[in-house]
Amino acid sequence: MISHNVLHRPLRTFITVLAVAVEVTLVIIVVGLTSGLLLESAKRTEGVGADIMVQPPSASVFMAFGGAPMPIAIADKLRQLEYVQAVAPVLVQFNSVNGLDIVYGIDPETFRAVSGGFVFHSGHDLQAPNDILIDDVYSRSKKVKVDQTLHILEHDFHVAGIVEHGKGARLFVLMPTLQEMAGARDKASIFYVKCDRPDHTPAVADEIRDLLPKYEVRPLKDFLTLMTSSNLPGLAAFINVMIGIAVAIGFLVIFLSMYTTIIERTREIGVLKSLGASKSYIVQIVLSETTLLCIAGVVGGVGLSYLMRAIFIRLFPSLTILITPGWIARAGLIAILGGLLGASYPAWMASRKDPVEALSYE
Amino acid sequence: MEPILKTENLWKIYRTGKVDVPALRGVDIQILPGEFVSIMGPSGCGKSTMLHVIGGLAQATRGKVLLDGNDLTTMTDAARTMLRRHKVGFVFQRFNLLPTLDAYHNIVLAQHIRADGFDPHRFEVVANLLGISARLKHKPSEMSGGEQQRVAIARAIVCEPKIVLADEPTGNLDTKSSEAVLNLLASLNKDLGQTIVMITHNPEAAAYGHRVLHMRDGLVVDGATVH
Repeated sequence: MISHNVLHRPLRTFITVLAVAVEVTLVIIVVGLTSGLLLESAKRTEGVGADIMVQPPSASVFMAFGGAPMPIAIADKLRQLEYVQAVAPVLVQFNSVNGLDIVYGIDPETFRAVSGGFVFHSGHDLQAPNDILIDDVYSRSKKVKVDQTLHILEHDFHVAGIVEHGKGARLFVLMPTLQEMAGARDKASIFYVKCDRPDHTPAVADEIRDLLPKYEVRPLKDFLTLMTSSNLPGLAAFINVMIGIAVAIGFLVIFLSMYTTIIERTREIGVLKSLGASKSYIVQIVLSETTLLCIAGVVGGVGLSYLMRAIFIRLFPSLTILITPGWIARAGLIAILGGLLGASYPAWMASRKDPVEALSYE
Repeated sequence: MEPILKTENLWKIYRTGKVDVPALRGVDIQILPGEFVSIMGPSGCGKSTMLHVIGGLAQATRGKVLLDGNDLTTMTDAARTMLRRHKVGFVFQRFNLLPTLDAYHNIVLAQHIRADGFDPHRFEVVANLLGISARLKHKPSEMSGGEQQRVAIARAIVCEPKIVLADEPTGNLDTKSSEAVLNLLASLNKDLGQTIVMITHNPEAAAYGHRVLHMRDGLVVDGATVH
């Protein structure tokens, strides 16, 4: 009976299922996009190859949101610590022109000592003050090639080389150039510290904490676990708001769909009551229909999410959208619960209909 | 013999705005097991209201309705629902089959609601008796009025109710189909001993019953008791 009812009005069923699918897609894509960006950013930071990251006091784990830079002279103090093999100071700037990108101001020699150096796809290392290195993902997504001019941070840079992605940022310029542009002479945002052996990392971290109390000293081994939405102020709230909007869409569509269904089937409800159907039986029918619609919507939504991801990544190759089984399950559960909530009033209304009035409904 | 249905001073008053409108005004009737009783009367005399009250679809305002020993007037809504499920079968003028289901599922629905499980033997007996075995896969929109009413009767009796209440079952049918439906009701009564109460405007249809009750202005004016 439930499947027959659902198929009785194919257009209404299709629209309801589509609305639930959009709800599920919205949740999966929003979460996938934020998680993907965080994960990708974390992997790039880990890809620098350092063991420890030192930031100013109270700095965010998300370096684009970092606070005031530190004196670059700290690097020399860090180099003198036991077990420290290399220290690379980096000045970080946030570029919002033609997308959102982090730009690293680096000293090629020290950065190479920590990271093991770039793998060049084409071009050469930073030499002139206006040189810039871009990674292969940025090159593909922005269609930028070696020797072209790249206008970022209100400055024209010469693309000196294209490097393999995964070394902290997608864009690298010489540190003095970026310091000049940012008005932060002799300053750095981060110090990447390489230990002589990985098992010396805790000892070196403790030494740095003694040397620079209140500074943020983060072993990069644990960095991935820190890069979650809950560590970024406002992001968790943003995700919750988006989920709330998605649930509201599902709730309202299901409510309207089931409400009109109940009105349309008033007479049938009267017939069911005349046959001895209890209130719970009628509620069960309405909620079962809703569950069926929601399940179809969830299946459609998961498919739509993968389709959207494929389209987004084709259009914006630098994007990472992380679709995980955990969030698919959560999005499905949210859609079903939201749908059941939306159907609960129509179901209650149906169960309370007077059988005599329902049977005489035209 | 104890009556299967008995009403004592049965009143049903509807409130329209601030005005009380009595639809039943002290009805006393008795119906014995195995009887086929017709109820006649002009429009608005309370026939349908009485059917709804004695079938447990509506609550009486006062008085008593004893159906198979159960007093409907003291029952909760849930208890009356249970009683309808197990003891009453309804047949309506407009058939009231579910349009999304075929004939088979419309009939099985009654067994499903009763939650006794599907009884294939009883289903087959009923389908053969009503001559609808060949139409079971058809939806109501694919059947004639007479066929739809036969399916509705099958749905009403498939759970072996104590009483079948038919509200103008031939009201929407042509003469030939009406005759076929009335003959079916008569044979259900005669062959299976099914107690039937039928409302009709048609004296010829009423004549199929053993007894005819005449109603006027919310009262039974003739034929209320068994002679």
